[in-house]
Amino acid sequence: MKSTKMIFSAIIAICCFCLVAVPQTLAVNDAFDPGKMADMSDFDPSNPVTPSGDTIKIAIVASFSGPAAFVGEIFYAPVLWAAHDINKRGGIMVDGKRKKVQVIRADHMSQVPQAKKITERMVLQEKVDVLWGTNGSHLMKVINQVAKKYKTIAQCTAALSDDLYDHKNFTRYSFMTSFQTDQIGRAAAYYYGQIRKKEKKFYILCQDYLFGHAMANGFKKGLKQYFPEAEIVGEDYHKLFLTDFAPYLTKIKASGAEVVYTGDWIPDAANLAKQARQMGMMLPFAHTFLDEPNFLHEVGIEGTKGLIQIGQYATTNPNFKNAGQIMVYRAWNNLWKNKWTKPFNTYTFKHGPGGGNIGSYMMQTYWLLSVIERAGSTDPEKIIKTWEGDTYQLLNGKVMTMRAVDHKAIQDLHAIEYVPPEEQKVNFNIEPYRWYDGCSGGGPVSRIPADKIMPLLDPELKR
Amino acid sequence: MKKTVQWIILAVAAGILMFFPALFGIYFTNVFLTFVIFALFATTLNLLLGFTGLLSFGHAMFFGVGGYGTAIALERIEGLPLILAVLIGVMAAVALALILCPIMVRVSGTAFAMLHLAFGQLIYVLALKLRDITGGEDGIGGFDIPPFSIPGVVSVDMTDPSNFYYFGMIVLVGSLAILWFFTKTPFGSIMVGIRDNANRVDYMGFKVPQSKAVIYLFAGGFAGVAGSIYALFQNLISASDAFHILVSFVPVMMTMVGGIGSFFGPVVGAGIFGILEELTSRYTEQVELVMGLILILVIMYAPMGFLGIVQILKEKWFGKMSQQAGAEEAS
Repeated sequence: MKSTKMIFSAIIAICCFCLVAVPQTLAVNDAFDPGKMADMSDFDPSNPVTPSGDTIKIAIVASFSGPAAFVGEIFYAPVLWAAHDINKRGGIMVDGKRKKVQVIRADHMSQVPQAKKITERMVLQEKVDVLWGTNGSHLMKVINQVAKKYKTIAQCTAALSDDLYDHKNFTRYSFMTSFQTDQIGRAAAYYYGQIRKKEKKFYILCQDYLFGHAMANGFKKGLKQYFPEAEIVGEDYHKLFLTDFAPYLTKIKASGAEVVYTGDWIPDAANLAKQARQMGMMLPFAHTFLDEPNFLHEVGIEGTKGLIQIGQYATTNPNFKNAGQIMVYRAWNNLWKNKWTKPFNTYTFKHGPGGGNIGSYMMQTYWLLSVIERAGSTDPEKIIKTWEGDTYQLLNGKVMTMRAVDHKAIQDLHAIEYVPPEEQKVNFNIEPYRWYDGCSGGGPVSRIPADKIMPLLDPELKR
Repeated sequence: MKKTVQWIILAVAAGILMFFPALFGIYFTNVFLTFVIFALFATTLNLLLGFTGLLSFGHAMFFGVGGYGTAIALERIEGLPLILAVLIGVMAAVALALILCPIMVRVSGTAFAMLHLAFGQLIYVLALKLRDITGGEDGIGGFDIPPFSIPGVVSVDMTDPSNFYYFGMIVLVGSLAILWFFTKTPFGSIMVGIRDNANRVDYMGFKVPQSKAVIYLFAGGFAGVAGSIYALFQNLISASDAFHILVSFVPVMMTMVGGIGSFFGPVVGAGIFGILEELTSRYTEQVELVMGLILILVIMYAPMGFLGIVQILKEKWFGKMSQQAGAEEAS
């Protein structure tokens, strides 16, 4: 009788598992499997193991010098991690041969001519298979142009402007795995209008280039759609790499705004928030890239409390949902604590696959490598065929879908409210139950469903 | 004998230029074309600085206006022929020079340099702010590059890097040749006269402001040619790459490193910078640091630039040889 009960219970358990897990697995073409991850204890981004011979070459085209030099390092470590992991697993079988992954740094110095030159050098001389980048939509535009000209795959992981994939700029060789400006703007508006329902007066302050304007437009559009009673009390655009935000902050102060919406990325994002707090302006920022922990620590717990981040690599609470996820996180975090040297042992790199942008860049790279593996080739045509319409499940369970028509990723986004360390347990559910001690960090998280923020599709794009 | 050697060198150089894409591949062809663009840009500055003694801290405005002129024209006018697009860019630069020259020809020295700095920055800010026209910080990019066509005769695809190389080289080398002939005309001597003693040139009956205006238009116009080809070559032109103050310093540095006063000094300077940048960027991400160090060394130890050193060595070597020959003859 007892054994019958046990068998019956087991059958029910298996059925439940099938009902929940199988459809999820079937729904995606591939998923990141933490169980397959190699022993990463020898990984050190300062002393990378560079494979030689016939390799799959990925060029990280980014700023490795100049005011945004640190951004390049933020890209470099997670991409290198993914490559190291795959290499230790033995590489990827492509074109009948098992090849390892080689990562090459390509410094565009945040300058358009240099971006073109270095990207062409990567394609024509280094013969890279993938161009991975970048910080700056105007620079990604150059990368995409080169990708189109020389028929090389480009992965847009960090430039977010929708215009990059409109009818004028679209190239079938480039795939946008990052989230997008319009999506972020609408996600922020959805959060304030449909979920939070508190603040109503917004001030928009963005960088004066393609990305900044697109971020602002997305937010304005989102407010119209999801929060029509909201009011935009001011709107400004500042030049890139600005050091004095005082004139803008004075205007914001006078405007009566309750929230400042900004698309700024570092160093602008950090300078903006630091100066705001120095001037005694404690207004919350709705942002995407105000999450750089070194700067968050400079501003402190009070100054960073209440920031709202629209994040692309997050999940609903709690953040760590399974053992595999915790295992990958610990592998990274232990190395950060015990092995790595500057700049990779700074706060920025502390959590890696735990969440945030570094986790996102890592997962986007794993998606790329998964596509190459499934394409069984580095031939751009085969990669395009595999990637179009592809679905991939990330380490945290989030599913990404590559829309075939315009190569933009469809995904949920999350609004993360920054709270003091003692309140972070709700999100950071493993020891030490907080992201950081010296600043506010992720607390309550709200999911913005993908169907509410579908990527903008240019109706003029005919494919 | 000397002439024969010169002709042989010239023929070899022409041969290399002719087959450059086939010999060195697309990447180095693009690097070389960039060098020639900046060689022309620096040479136009040298017309002002080396030949006329006018230092400009805002020469990038002509380069940028040339580039923007071409880019905007191609973006807004459908079916515009390539040559016409280049001409629009050049005419835009000439128009800017025409607007500025009534003020600029009446000043020299620090005032000339600082006024250019001010106007350069003004245009830079305008390019950033007039977003609807200039594309702001992003600039104008991805415009269609029309084929080079002579109706009923030929139509060459200019999106092909090799084809564009030949087109660019014809325009740029042709421009350099025109400028070279310009410096060899009697007007070229007036330029040098203005640099050395403007009052004396005035006493001799030449109109200094008017002469300066002609030089200014030439310098601005041909900087516009460089800018126009640059915009076509990059398929993109943006405020920071066209009007930024550092873009104005680039030809100044090239001229100083190559050799002020000599026509080919800026060309050599552009070459040195191009090679150094190409080499250093392969080993370090601090390219500008290396460039800065080189400039400091040149200013301290070789103020006449690379060609100045060559000249000194030549004089030493040939001077010794001719002295020896004289001594042998005397004995």
